[in-house]
Amino acid sequence: MIVTLNPKILHFSKLNPQSPLSRPSPRFYRTRTISLTTNCKLQNPQDGNKTGSITKTISLSDSAPPVTEESSVKGGGNGGGGGGGGFLKRLPRKVLSVLSNLPLAITEMSTIAALMALGTVIEQGETPEFYFEKYPEDSPVLGFFTWRWIFALGLDHMYSAPIFLGMLALLAASLMACTYTTQIPLVKVARRWSFMKSDDAIKKQDFAESLPRASIQDLGVILMGDGYEVFMKGPSLYAFKGLAGRFAPIGVHIAMILIMVGGTLSATGSFRGSVTVPQGLNFVMGDVLGPIGFLSVPTDSFNTEVHVNRFTMDYYDSGEVSQFHSDLSLRDLNGKEVMRKTISVNDPLRYGGVTIYQTDWSFSALQVSKDGEGPFNLAMAPIKINGDKKLYGTFLPVGDTNAPNVKGISMLARDLQSIVVYDLEGKFAGIRRPNSKLPIEIDGMKIVIEDAIGSTGLELKTDPGVPVVYAGFGALMLTTCISYLSHSQIWALQNGTTLMVGGRTNRAKNEFPDDMNRLLDQVPELIKTSVD
Amino acid sequence: MIFSILEHILTHISFSVVSIVLTIYFLTLLVNLDEIIGFFDSSDKGIVITFFGITGLLFTRWIYSGHFPLSNLYESLIFLSWAFSIIHMVSYFNKKNKNHLNAITAPSAIFIQGFATSGLLNNMPQSAILVPALQSQWLMMHVSMMILGYGALLCGSLLSIALLVITFRKVGSTFWKNNRKTKFLLNELFSFDGLYYINERNSVLLQQNSNFSFSRNYYRYQLIEQLDYWSFRIISLGFIFLTVGILSGAVWANETWGSYWNWDPKETWAFITWTIFAIYLHIKTNRNFRGINSAIVASIGFLLIWICYFGVNLLGIGLHSYGSFTSN
Repeated sequence: MIVTLNPKILHFSKLNPQSPLSRPSPRFYRTRTISLTTNCKLQNPQDGNKTGSITKTISLSDSAPPVTEESSVKGGGNGGGGGGGGFLKRLPRKVLSVLSNLPLAITEMSTIAALMALGTVIEQGETPEFYFEKYPEDSPVLGFFTWRWIFALGLDHMYSAPIFLGMLALLAASLMACTYTTQIPLVKVARRWSFMKSDDAIKKQDFAESLPRASIQDLGVILMGDGYEVFMKGPSLYAFKGLAGRFAPIGVHIAMILIMVGGTLSATGSFRGSVTVPQGLNFVMGDVLGPIGFLSVPTDSFNTEVHVNRFTMDYYDSGEVSQFHSDLSLRDLNGKEVMRKTISVNDPLRYGGVTIYQTDWSFSALQVSKDGEGPFNLAMAPIKINGDKKLYGTFLPVGDTNAPNVKGISMLARDLQSIVVYDLEGKFAGIRRPNSKLPIEIDGMKIVIEDAIGSTGLELKTDPGVPVVYAGFGALMLTTCISYLSHSQIWALQNGTTLMVGGRTNRAKNEFPDDMNRLLDQVPELIKTSVD
Repeated sequence: MIFSILEHILTHISFSVVSIVLTIYFLTLLVNLDEIIGFFDSSDKGIVITFFGITGLLFTRWIYSGHFPLSNLYESLIFLSWAFSIIHMVSYFNKKNKNHLNAITAPSAIFIQGFATSGLLNNMPQSAILVPALQSQWLMMHVSMMILGYGALLCGSLLSIALLVITFRKVGSTFWKNNRKTKFLLNELFSFDGLYYINERNSVLLQQNSNFSFSRNYYRYQLIEQLDYWSFRIISLGFIFLTVGILSGAVWANETWGSYWNWDPKETWAFITWTIFAIYLHIKTNRNFRGINSAIVASIGFLLIWICYFGVNLLGIGLHSYGSFTSN
């Protein structure tokens, strides 16, 4: 037996004595091949090692075909299912097949998308009067849409409306049904289609080519070099790559279900509350947190007392707020400090399942001293809230406070940084910064603004759904990425000296023929003759 | 000061280079195909220059503003055109698989770039301060992923729209007339993005002209197959970016606003977009629905991206209103 090889790929040479290709070859080859025999022999000592290891690996994968097991399990399952009859057994199957129907799932997704879009168009969470006015009965929007529709379908709170949640539940059911009835069997099929026993089956694949004078073992080695898992049995070969890409969509569906479960947990088991606390005061977590759903169960940490040690704001040079900081101490029932942290926006505090967020701020009081007396604490009142621009004001009465029209000094502030002072007539008197200790003189009185005391706006919540949702997020990101991988399968059948190769892939279909051609170009041309 | 000059120069370089590229594209339409092979290549090189110009621009802004340059609409538009130029370069360097992407990415890049630097957004180019909620490491991940996702999805859905146009266009001798009519129709339908289509059509025409003498129907079929395939691949890629972007945004929201999902308008529209492209990918997996149906879904998705990306900012509603039109 003599092998002729393209010198470039000589290292792939393998001399398998049990090769099925022991067909006597035409006589005219004989003269040509003799010279090549020496060539082969020359290379043999170097290649011996390589060849040995390669054949070994092939036989390794050959010895582990999970395929037959799988198919037998599948067959058994089918038999059992067919045996059990009865209406009760058939009903779930019917429901399943309806739910896993792709057009239904697409309809559900479109409906959900449309409802969400509607939810952003219709103002959410307004008072009924608002809708009466905006969507009146006598001039309906688009000719039919009035407030009656909104209240009948609950469109004023779209994202908790029964119609929306029902759609989501239906979609979740479809997801599960699809995973169960379509995707999992698909994986089984993908693993079952192992060896193809006829040329015709291979020719039916998206990519098919027949290689004259090629050996299946060479192909196996080359495919392995390209990252394929190769299985060989007799004259047939099965190879695949990127099986994860086939499994990943199942993972996507499971991740979606996980997120939905987590969302449900969040919606039923959370506590939430917000509080505005002046610097130096404290509150108990349990007083602030209110249950959201019927599964909300308070924990021990709700007894924790939160003390606001300090509230500060950072500013840009332009005077705009850059960050808020609240220095918080947590104390247990005995008054012992269990935790202390300075929180800011984007940096919440977490303790015993409760998360404290920095969300807002307010002006609590102004410490003012008059002619060396004091300091007095003047409470600041919010005057006008115009978008995000806040304005606070206070009033220092001067003279007889029991008089019918009290006169005094007004002080206005947009933030904790600078206070605008107006005199008794309401004329502008000056601007002072707290802590500057610089007195401002009004009608002979020396006013010193000692300090500005802010209050921090905190948001508290417990959410048992977050770990589940995060797990779902992680899984979704990962599986979506993996889904991009192509699952490529290649079958080959040795038929005499001709090698029939077919393959298919599920994603990168355009690149696949090129890749295949590149691989098949590497397969050495083989000429076999009986040496005798 | 030196930064603003540098930024100015880079803006002008990238804009003018991309304009030249576009002019070359137009010229290739008018001049005979044989003479323009070199032209075509130089246009690709132009995009590479644009890419470096925009990269430099973004870095300059990053250095002098001290934060990741994605805090307002202007910066995100620049980033979007940067994403387009990346996609263009990928398809340029990946010469083995010839596709029609560059016919879409180059005009898209110039359109976005032109829009961003035009007078429309007067107050925008000044680098704004970062509000407290945006001061997070998540800004980089969330916004860049979202915009890369938008860029890829826009490309993919434009390919699908091109597919639709080619499929429904009558094959006849009144070649130009037909074409103009389609253009007009499309301009009417999506006047906002008319520019894309014209250019997409141009490249398609080129391809078709070259093979005019051969079997046109066969070529048309091939082209449709190609467009279908590439729009699928690119939308799948954009879908990954969109997923990662939305999820990282949710995690960030849980750190900042106290909840991972607030049904904020922008969030909701991003989710709607995600759902539409999920529908697209599902239609693609089913053999019975392929082709036109998926292309229609992708073109709906194209509109949705613009609603999500621009519409919500135009109104300046919700929690994502940073750097919207109204806030200035």
